[in-house]
This record gives sequence, C-alpha cells and structure tokens, in this order.
Amino acid sequence: MASISLLNPKAEFARAAQALAINISAAKGLQDVMRTNLGPKGTVKMLVSGAGDIKITKDGNVLLHEMQIQHPTASMIARASTAQDDATGDGTTTTVMLIGELLKQADIYLSEGLHPRIMTEGFEKARDKALEVLDKVKVPVEINKKNLVEIANTSLKTKVHPALADLLTDVCVDAVLTIASDKTKPVDLHMVELMEMQHKTDTDTQLVRGLVMDHGARHPDMPKRLENAYILTANVSLEYEKAEVNSGFFYKTAEEREAFVRAEREFIDQRVKKVIELKRSVCDGTDKTFVLINQKGIDPISLDALAKEGILALRRAKRRNMERLALACGGTAMNSFDDLQEENLGYAGVVYEHVLGENKYTFVEDCKNPLSVTILIKGPNKHTITQIKDAIRDGLRAINNTIADKALVPGAGSFEVRAYNELVAFKDTIKGKSRLAVQAFADALLVIPKTLAVNSGYDAQDTIVKLTVEDRLNPDLVGLDLATGEPMKPVDLGVYDNYIVKKQILNSCSIIASNLLLVDEVMRAGMTSLKG
Amino acid sequence: MAHTREILSLQLGTYANYVGAHFWNQQEANFCYGDGDGDDQVAEEHLLHNDILYREGLNSHNRTTYTPRLVSVDLAGTLAHLPLGGELYGNFVQRDEELLPFGTGEDLNKTRQRVEESGVAPTSQLELQEEPPTQLSEYQRDLMKNSVVPDKDYQLAETVRSWPDFLYARYHPRSLNVLPGLARSPVHQTISTYSAGAALWEEASFNEELTDRIRLYIEECDGLQGFHLLFDIDDGFGGLAGKCLEHLNDEYGRASFVVPLHYPRATSYPQADSRLSHSIRVANTILSYHNLSEQATMFTPLSTLETIWRNTNLKSRTLSGLQWQPDNLYQTSGLLAAFLDTATLGYRLRNTPESLMRFCDRVTPSGRKMTAAGLALPLGVGEGQDLIEFLDQSGDHALLTQLSPGCEPGTSYVVQSVTARGIPLERLKRPREKAGDQMRMAAYGCDSVSQMLQLYYQCSYHGSVTNAASTPLPLKSQLPFPYEIFGAGMNSSGFRLPGEAEREPGLRVDSVPALAAIQNSTQLGEHLDNLHAQTHRIQLAKLLAYNNCSLERDEYETALDQLLEFRDLYADSQYL
Repeated sequence: MASISLLNPKAEFARAAQALAINISAAKGLQDVMRTNLGPKGTVKMLVSGAGDIKITKDGNVLLHEMQIQHPTASMIARASTAQDDATGDGTTTTVMLIGELLKQADIYLSEGLHPRIMTEGFEKARDKALEVLDKVKVPVEINKKNLVEIANTSLKTKVHPALADLLTDVCVDAVLTIASDKTKPVDLHMVELMEMQHKTDTDTQLVRGLVMDHGARHPDMPKRLENAYILTANVSLEYEKAEVNSGFFYKTAEEREAFVRAEREFIDQRVKKVIELKRSVCDGTDKTFVLINQKGIDPISLDALAKEGILALRRAKRRNMERLALACGGTAMNSFDDLQEENLGYAGVVYEHVLGENKYTFVEDCKNPLSVTILIKGPNKHTITQIKDAIRDGLRAINNTIADKALVPGAGSFEVRAYNELVAFKDTIKGKSRLAVQAFADALLVIPKTLAVNSGYDAQDTIVKLTVEDRLNPDLVGLDLATGEPMKPVDLGVYDNYIVKKQILNSCSIIASNLLLVDEVMRAGMTSLKG
Repeated sequence: MAHTREILSLQLGTYANYVGAHFWNQQEANFCYGDGDGDDQVAEEHLLHNDILYREGLNSHNRTTYTPRLVSVDLAGTLAHLPLGGELYGNFVQRDEELLPFGTGEDLNKTRQRVEESGVAPTSQLELQEEPPTQLSEYQRDLMKNSVVPDKDYQLAETVRSWPDFLYARYHPRSLNVLPGLARSPVHQTISTYSAGAALWEEASFNEELTDRIRLYIEECDGLQGFHLLFDIDDGFGGLAGKCLEHLNDEYGRASFVVPLHYPRATSYPQADSRLSHSIRVANTILSYHNLSEQATMFTPLSTLETIWRNTNLKSRTLSGLQWQPDNLYQTSGLLAAFLDTATLGYRLRNTPESLMRFCDRVTPSGRKMTAAGLALPLGVGEGQDLIEFLDQSGDHALLTQLSPGCEPGTSYVVQSVTARGIPLERLKRPREKAGDQMRMAAYGCDSVSQMLQLYYQCSYHGSVTNAASTPLPLKSQLPFPYEIFGAGMNSSGFRLPGEAEREPGLRVDSVPALAAIQNSTQLGEHLDNLHAQTHRIQLAKLLAYNNCSLERDEYETALDQLLEFRDLYADSQYL
C-alpha cells in the first residue's frame, strides 16, 4: 500500500505496471488523434464548437491548443510538443507521434520484464547515435532562393493545399529575403507584419514591400492617395485632453478656466504648426507630399488643420509599427517636434487608403530599401485567414531556421529510415539488455515513414520493407514518394526538413518518453478531489 | 466643434460580465428609434447620449450595427451559445437549423463547401469534428426568432447558466475574449490569485491581441474621456485588471472609473480549505486595492452582501420592497447594474457639461479614491405622491441602501454625487393653485428634481457637499431584467401603492424610479481597517506556498504598508 494512503485514505493512486499502463494509453490516445494529420496527404480538421465557432487546421500545435486535455500524461506530452513549436515552429505532430511510439515499443519489452531504467539507458545511447547520424546526413546549403523555396515548400505543404502552399512559399521567401540585410543571420520575424483582410470574394496572399496599417485617416478632407510622400513617424500627443486629466489646477472663476483651456489649446496648436511648417519647407514647390503617422492621438481640431494643408494624418498607430515604419521607409520616430529636420523623415513612393466595410487600411508602399515588409492575407472568412496565417508563421520559421543552421536534412521520412538501419547495426555493438532498448528506439523511428505511407493510402509494411532495403543499397538517403508510393531520393525532388527541428525532436522525445517510463506511481490527492 | 466624448468599457471576469450584460440590456431598453418613438415628454437634454458608450459599424452583410464600445474577458465555457466573434458579423456556423434564416450564422454544409473552394484544403482531406451544439436558452431562442413574448415567464433566475443566456444586447467581434485553456468551474474560482491573473496579462499572444483591440476602439474616438472598468476582485481577474489599468494609464492617460465586484457567495479556490480560501481572498483584495489606490481615478467596490469578511450565512443588504436570492448571480448582478446605470447617468446625458473626469474628481477629495455606493430602488415615492411630500415624510429614515460591502459613509461630512431618475417634473410638486400644504415647505421653491435633492441633503446631512443630477427616464425593468424581485406593494411604474394595497397579480413592474449615490466620507476608512484586520488571521506562509501563486512576501508587505498610508487619507474627520 502506498504511504500516501496512510495520510490521506481517499487519495487515488496507481502503482508500477498500472501507472505505466496509464501513461502509455494516454500517449497512444494522443497519437491516434494526431496520426491522420501527418504529412502533405494528412487530413485537414475542421473543428466546429458548440457555439458554432469554426477552426480549420492541420497544424499539430493548433490542434493541441484547441483540445481541452484533461489527462495529466497527455497534457505533459502536449506541453512538450508546444515547446517544440515555440523553439522551432514545426514538428509538433512528429513529436507526439514519436513519444507515443517510443512508449508503445518500450511496452513490448517491459511487459517481458525489462527494467524501465535499462530501457531509458538504451534510449539515451540510441538517441546519441541517431544525433550522430543526423549530423552525418545533413546537407550544408547555401542561402539562396532555390534552397529556401524548397524548405519552405516542404513545411507549407504539410499545412495547406499544395496549390496554396506554392503561392505562400514565394511570399514567405521573398519576405525574408527582402529584409535580410546580410544573408548569414536569421532575420527578426517581428519585422514581417501579417495583416489580415476579410474580403467576400477574394482569396489571395501577397507581399507588400512596405507597411499596411489597419486604420486610416479620420478626416473626410484628407487625401486618399498620395505619391512621392515624406513620412513623419511620431509619438507626440496632438489632442487637447491632458489638461483635464492632470487637473491639479483649481480655478476660481469660469474665466480662469477658459484662459487655462486656451493656453493648453495653444500648446497643441504650436505642435501642429511645427508639422505644417516642416511640410511647407520640404514640399512647397515640389511634387512631394506629406504623411504623419502618430502613435498618440490627434483630435478633430488638429486633424482639421492638417487636412487643410493636404497632410494625411493617422493616429494611434501600433507601437510595433513605429519600429517597422522606421525600417520600411527610413527616418526616425520622433518623440518631440522641437528641432524637426528633413533627415528625420522617411519616404514612400505611394501611400493610399483602402476601405472595406467598417475597416480602413492604409498602405505605405514603394519604399526605397524596405527592411520591414507586410504579408497581406485576404480571405472570405475568419477561419480561412487564421489557417493561412498559422501556415505562414511556420513557413517563415522554417526559412529562418535554415538561415541559422545553414544546413538541411533530406525529408520524406528518409532520415528515419537511415537512422533505423544505422541503429540496427549499432545495436550489435552494445552489450547487455540495453540493446533491446536501441532496437525499440529504431522501431519507433519508423512510425514517421509508416504514417506518411498510410496517410497517402499505401501499405505500411510494404513501404518500410522497400525503403529499408533501398536505403541499405544506396549511399544517398532514400525517402517515400507520396505520389507513387515508391522510394525516391528527396534531394532530387527538393524535399527538405529543418536540421534544428529534427534535432529538437530527437532530444525532447527521448527525454519525455524516458521520464514517462520511469514513473512508477501516479497519485491524486488534494482538496478538490476530497470535496468531490 | 463639439464632438462625442467617448468612454471605453472593459469587463474582466465572469461576474463582471453578468453585471455588464444587465448594464447593456438597460442601455438598449432606453434606446428610442426615430421620432415619436419612446417618451415624447422627455426633453432632449434629459435623454441619454448613446454614442458615448456605443459605436456605429457596418458588418459584412452591409448592415449598420450599433454595438457597445466594449472589451470583455472571460473564462472558456462561459460564452455558452455565443460565438467568439459575436452574432452580428458572421464567421460562425449556426448550429440550430431552426434559427438559420435569422441572424448571420451560416449553414454547416455551405461553410464546408466554401472552405473546400477557397483552396485551403482539398475536398478529400477535410475531416469534420463537431462538438455537440450548445443548448440555447428559451429566451435567446425567442429573441433570435424575434418572437419574445413580454408576458411570458422565462424563469430566468432559475435557468440562467451564464450571462449570454439573458443578454439582449449584441456585441462587436472585437469585444469578446476568452482565456485559452482556462475553463469555468462550478465549484471554485479557476484563476485563484492576483499574481496568477497578472501573469496572464504578460502572456505575449494574449496581450498583443487584447491591447490591439483596445487600441482599435480608441483610434475611432475623437474625444475619449476615459474608461469604465468592471472586474471580479475575488480571483485572478484582479491581477489582470491591475495590469490592464496600468497599460491604459501608460498608453492613454485618461480618467478611469473602476468597479471591483465581489461575488455574492463564499468563494473557494482549487486545493484550498476554507481557511486558506479566506487568506487568498484577503490577499487578492489587498493587492487589488493597493493597485487601484495608485492607478484608478476612482474606485467603488460593489456587492449585494453586507460584508465580505466572515459572512458565512451570506447576510445580504436589503432594499425595501425587493426580494432576491442572496447568491443568485443573475438577480444580484441585475441590482448592481441598476446602480451603475443610474449613478453614471450624470455624464451620459445629451449636452451635459459633465465629464467622467470631473465626476470622479468631485467625490474623491484629497486622494480618497475609494468611494461607496448607495442605491434606492424603488425610490419609494407613493402613487399620487409628489417628491416634495415624499422627502418631507421620509424624516430621518435614510433613502439609500449601501451597496459597497462594509462601507457606511454616515450622514455627516459626506461628499457625494446623487442621481435621480424616473421622477417627471410634474411629480415634483403641485402647481401653486393646488399646492396646499406644500406651499409651506422650504423645498417648494425648487424647480427641478436635482435642486430639490440638493436642498434635501443640505438639510439632512450635516456639513456635506452634494451634487445632484436627474433625468425623468425611469429604470426599465422589463425582461430580461429580474423583474421578479419587485414586491407586490408597488404599481407597474414602480410607485408605492397606498396602505396594504397590492398590485394585480400578473401585472409586472415595467419601470421604476431610482436614486443612486456615490459617496465619500471619513468613515470609509473603517472599511480599510476591516480589511486590514483580516490580515492578522492570514496564513502567510501557507499562502506563499500556495501552488501557481507567485506571490512574493515583499510585494505583499509593500502593498499592505501602502494601503495603510492610503487609509490615512481618510483620517482627518474635519477635513472635507
């Protein structure tokens, strides 16, 4: 009897084999849910909630977030794969699959009496070997458009329809290449803004080499379209309001108050005048125009004054857009209007407004040397847009990972097949029972090509036999061609995975699986379970 | 150039959303569509200026919408039948086929077809996973079919499971936010501690989404005057609200009227016994009060309970002529919303020079930011009686019942703002020729309700300052307001019936006159003393060890010290 029951007779607990069974069944359950999503031929899930909310996804990470996971083991696995997503942006489904499979394979040996500790030791050895293999097969790549397209395409095809994936691939690669100043460092992905636009009839995703903002001018007389525009970005309040908020002042008479209000108004007017003066000095007599983008508010009186000068003014810009604007158009974001100079201004070839229902969008385009870009996603409804957005995020991460790694790993299950063969050979060099664990690890890796085959409608065993045999005969890696079901060389077809993703998967899966195997007691005791 | 002086409302927490739902229902009950509709006799300046709280929009079906300028945050599972994007802008599947022709929801098969056409998923690979549809409340079903029977008894008090069940108002897609993965629990508070709530705010994706929604609302405003912030103080939403308020002050620097709401129940927390639960509740309140004393322009704690501490049998406040179940969220939130709506009328009328800032300033002298709430509902004016007589006969009997737990502002040296509603000018006093006894009363010289109230309080409250405002618009108490709380002793317009007479059975109270006050006095210091007294019993060591509560001893002790300093502001009894 567990000691906990002496302290708390109502505590629920499960020991040894029972505890293991709980963990393994949970891992298997999660694996079953995610299995059908793996690979380009995996199914897309459309989730409809009780209230009618729609979510469409194929992304393991999104699915895991949507599921309300109650089981403690399952939620631990889910957290591991979410961490995988945070770290690398891909490979969540694979993580879940692999953990489940590791436990399944281990179960076979454990039920025959192998101690979990020996199992985990073997897993460690196998993992180190697999990482060695991974290092051997990785293909160093030059960072050029072709290579990036291949990696982004592989990642995106597992998330959306192939035709759409091709379109998104181009957009993602162009986005990263535009803002990458030197091609050796990963870019700051915050500098790629994702802007969504719900449009009844149109599904399209495009790259805007500039910035799209989700608000527009708030004055009817302001220009809707400007060319050759100076851009002033600022964080200066242009509204008369503060006075009342910081009212440490007390006035005796209405006149005093009036005077105070006038003085404060005067103060704001001065700021507006400074902007107008600058505009006049740089634009008058030329065909140049002027745009003011402010992070703080602009009140109607100030808007009116600016509109009279033909200045397009936007208020309450997103904080992060201040940084993006400076990178996209040049210039600096101003915190005060004292000492305004022409070199503080940015430049854009064209600035125009687009109205869609109650939403306004402002496009700042044709920038000289944009270091910040926007990906504009148009879709007929919210759920489509969200799915495309999730896919784009992953595509961008895949590209960024490649730039960081400067290496890729051939995809289509080829690495797993190679690792399997190597591990089987490696097994014989190990003494003692832990070689069984290495075998289990090798078998578990095959779940990836197996699932890929099953999801594409091919026979799992057939495929594995074909692939392993082919791999032994070939020095190059051999993967599964999902279109034909035959072995192929992923390098020839340009199917690549991220090195870091694979590495992370091997590491985290073996650790989580080991931890779960070593659990020999599960208990639940606490106030809530007592209360019932 | 006169422009609208907008207010943005925020509701954080489940109970806050209950109160909010009633509040918006009340706003829409007072809408009048076009001329000649509604109360013709109400003068223009006494009508509400709805644009202060509402925004006009256009949905994807090209229909104009008019929705609250609101940001709401709640737990998963509280939205019931309500899709996350609201019901006005589409983007959801109408699960109930009977309701398809109404509203903007789409047919499931059509949606599926469109998804396939849009190319995000090939036909053969789309796998549908449906949750069972959420049961729609009877009231909502009738509402959507546009066939609400005003006299039908929907038994809302018993059947309401969550606030969307009785929500008449419709929200904008930007309004609703759900905390991912945190589902509502029937037995305890899901997010237990202030610190846990504060940590939620820091979470990057949630924070970005929420602040962006706030920003988009404010971008639309020409003359934003401030914020109404309602939140649940008993659990982690206090921390969320604290962080949110800091953000609003940093970014926008406007007035904020903050209303912390106490659940009318003994709250319990996961993995905590009743003693630890008490400690958690005290600690949450202390941290919230500390934050509010620094960040808010004014805050008014609200609850229908008499006190929050050691109130095991849930002793409730009583309003004469009203009966409600002390722990019923639907009924109690209705009362609190009635208070909020009435008390804030002053600066929401058309052409009023009042502003939220001035309103707050006036009742918070010398940094006494905490104020107390008082409500008289129904006002108690008899059928056929005039206000002047009613006030004359009320004698020493207090009109108001306190709605802030453990706050008794007393009757002397009070600074207050009172708002009366539902007393038409002709009920003020009788005309000269029929005046009779009224002529001899001092108040006969008053020409408006607010003037008379001002005089009344001048006489009955020693050394006090009163600001009175009034409107003839009564509180509308038809469905979905909990009309069943009204006793039989009043007529259908909420005036007291003479003697023992009772209203005809079957007849409901449609509207009620009411009086609400926000008060401040030195005696509110006792409320803070009481809170401080609770801290002696607190099990700090256990509290610090409490799971997923990242409370630091230093943080707690600083808050406690500064709260005592805040209490000192209430010390000098002569100062006003």
